[in-house]
Amino acid sequence: MADAASTFKQDLLSAIPSLRAFAMSLSQNADKADDLVQETLVKAWDKQASFQPGTNLKAWVFTILRNEFYSQMRKRGREVQDSDGVITARLAVHPAQQGSMDLDDFRTALETLPEDQREAIILIGASGFSYEEAAEICDCAVGTIKSRVSRARSRLQEILNVSGEADFGPDAISAQVMGSNAA
Amino acid sequence: MKPNIAAATGGHKKPGRSSETLGPNSEIGRKLKQYYDDLVSDEVPDRFANLLKQLEESENSGATPAGEGQ
Repeated sequence: MADAASTFKQDLLSAIPSLRAFAMSLSQNADKADDLVQETLVKAWDKQASFQPGTNLKAWVFTILRNEFYSQMRKRGREVQDSDGVITARLAVHPAQQGSMDLDDFRTALETLPEDQREAIILIGASGFSYEEAAEICDCAVGTIKSRVSRARSRLQEILNVSGEADFGPDAISAQVMGSNAA
Repeated sequence: MKPNIAAATGGHKKPGRSSETLGPNSEIGRKLKQYYDDLVSDEVPDRFANLLKQLEESENSGATPAGEGQ
């Protein structure tokens, strides 16, 4: 009993860096991200009995964290992010140059994606989950994950101007972003 | 006009692996990894290890923590 518990604890501990990265990707805010991780660890501990040893613990805790994120967001009534305007302004004055995209440009572009696309591209492209695992974490169909990843990638390529085919400049993108912002 | 990307990249892949469209040959894929690895390598504050220790201890003592331990 104590043995299983300490293995579980060890596994949770080693999942923390990825959990924090995922939480940051979702919430875009370091304090919120760490609160999210804390809440996730408490929940994971409470649900310990429902975890099947031998299955993917990382996917299991990612699922808990994601559910926690969306339930917190609902509770807050999805407080309108006034960072939208800031992002738009930054994109407008600092469009990525071809071939010289830096990490800040990328981060900014990532922030403009809708949550469902952002989480999909993070899970698949960065966290190393398979489409099947990502679909389970997000509680949706594999095809849904695929199309979200695909849309996210196209959107990032457009914003960052790396597709090569993106003829329309940052103005078109800013207009899109502002359109949803109703400034 | 635009090709259907989902249809074009779906189908013939090995199931379960990340799409090559986000692989090391893609600029977006590389940046994504860089962005994420940056976050993963961030130093983990002690509060999390302490929290797990607390949870473990309260379990060993047989009681559930009732909002204890700020």
